[in-house]
Amino acid sequence: MAEITVQNLHKEFGVGADKVVALENVNLEIGGHVFVSIVGASGCGKSTLLNILSGIETPTNGRVSITHDGRPARAGYVFQAARLLPWRTVMDNLLFVQKDRSEATRARCQHYLDMVQLGDKGKKFPGELSGGMQQRVGIARAFSTEPDVLFMDEPFSHLDAITARSLRAELQTMWQETKKTVVFVTHDVGEAVELSERILVFAKGGRLADDLTMSLPFPRDVSDPKVAVAKANVFKTFEQIGALAVT
Amino acid sequence: MSGGTVVTARVARGLKSPLAGRLTFPLVCLAVWLLTIEVVTAIWPFAVDVLPQPTEVAGFMWDEVTGNTLAPRNMYATFWISLQRLGIGMVIAMLLGTVIGLGMGLSRAVNAFFNDWVVAILAMPNLAWALFCSLAFGFGITGPIVTVVLTGIPYVIINIREGVRNAPSDLYDMARAFGVTRGHTIRHVLIPSLMPFMFAAGRYAFALGWKGLVVAEVFGGQDGAGWTIKFWYDAHRAHGVIGYALLFVIFALVFEKFMFDRLSRYFFKWRPASDVELVEERFDPAGAGAQKVTAGPPPRRDVTTETRRPDDG
Ligand SMILES: Nc1ncnc2c1ncn2[C@@H]1O[C@H](COP(=O)(O)OP(=O)(O)O)[C@@H](O)[C@H]1O
Ligand SMILES: [Mg+2]
Repeated sequence: MAEITVQNLHKEFGVGADKVVALENVNLEIGGHVFVSIVGASGCGKSTLLNILSGIETPTNGRVSITHDGRPARAGYVFQAARLLPWRTVMDNLLFVQKDRSEATRARCQHYLDMVQLGDKGKKFPGELSGGMQQRVGIARAFSTEPDVLFMDEPFSHLDAITARSLRAELQTMWQETKKTVVFVTHDVGEAVELSERILVFAKGGRLADDLTMSLPFPRDVSDPKVAVAKANVFKTFEQIGALAVT
Repeated sequence: MSGGTVVTARVARGLKSPLAGRLTFPLVCLAVWLLTIEVVTAIWPFAVDVLPQPTEVAGFMWDEVTGNTLAPRNMYATFWISLQRLGIGMVIAMLLGTVIGLGMGLSRAVNAFFNDWVVAILAMPNLAWALFCSLAFGFGITGPIVTVVLTGIPYVIINIREGVRNAPSDLYDMARAFGVTRGHTIRHVLIPSLMPFMFAAGRYAFALGWKGLVVAEVFGGQDGAGWTIKFWYDAHRAHGVIGYALLFVIFALVFEKFMFDRLSRYFFKWRPASDVELVEERFDPAGAGAQKVTAGPPPRRDVTTETRRPDDG
């Protein structure tokens, strides 16, 4: 079981007058096969937290640990832009992040390409695919390493609403089949309510302001009144912490 | 509109096209050439011996192309000799320039160390390199090769440094997030991202290297294209000098186009050509997108009152 522990995490960028506090004294624990969303307005440190968790950035202060059954956990990452190597084919993009290139590994990559409906696009270059397809390659890549933890940073925010909706459904299915720990960053409250079991609300200045539980069964239907109520409650939380801009 | 005006319009349009402009250029050159000969010989009749007629130059070029030459080697052997020198010089310039450019792109100290020298080498006319190298290395192949290296290397350095500074940091972060090894990242991210810059560097080094090489061969060579131009000069054959230089320019241009187009197609096949159609397709779990094609527009529905969801139907 994957365990994420964050203790007294503090992150600053720049020095002197340029100093920006991106995260301030964040403490949290995430364990098991859960889908956790991190929600907050732009600039409140969501990406920074994910980058520290995945090792792209180092904290100014504090500690993070990500383990799986006591050993360091393997992580996958889906970015806001697909971040594919434009000069490698779709299949080679998946192979790039693998430990080896054995037949079994190739078969696994093919399996995840099939899962995102791109089984026949392995030989294409990313530039030959649409934005939605590129993002699905990014999702297949993250799943293909069979990570214990999956980090996703606003993966659907660049896509049109219709494509984003179908990808959310797809992600939900894949998550339920593979039962990974997912940490999903979004600024879209509706998206968080639709997908997650737990919502961490971040406020300006990088503070963790609230920790909400969503116990409705999946798949969640936006027209279900309970979902609408939950969404309204999350917005109310933002009002209480003063994160909603009043102009 | 009558047939006559259509034809006239078409001819007028044809004359304004870029192709017509291109084809007109050599004709204008030829006219200027002939006119100059007329004017100069009218003023100074003895110039006839010095000013070559276009027909003389063409005849000379034809003889060279058919291998019928008075020079010690025919055109093909000579160009092959020069090409080898250019190749060796370019490989050295690319290797050395890549190492220095990488260093300059990655480290401010290394950049500060080399920067002024790169600018100085860049500003030096290649005639100076050619003269210096033939003095320093005497007659032989070293002088021409060193001249090619010195002419080409600043372009390689500057391009590689630019490539390193334009490093795709988002891809490096991606590689780090997935725990990809350093060697793997260099091979699949760094080197491919530098390829367009290397390519530009190679093209510059090649185009300028040719010129440096020819000048160096004039002064310090015992054979090669530059030396052969000098050979015709020493033999007082103006049509030989012009004809040989023209042949050489044509050879260099054709070779450049052939080689770099090939390489470009090989290295940049991942770049979507403008005519490649983007494959647009959506995930569609239930195949709901495969709607039946019905005649006429769909009936209007009021979704604010409808209780049935479209997925149900
Ligand atoms: N590399 C960086 N250098 C300087 N400031 C940064 C950097 N990355 C993020 N920041 C700053 O840290 C804050 C949090 O950014 P980020 O984590 O990207 O927010 P979010 O993802 O929630 O929109 C912002 O004020 C941003 O300007
Ligand atoms: Mg962000």
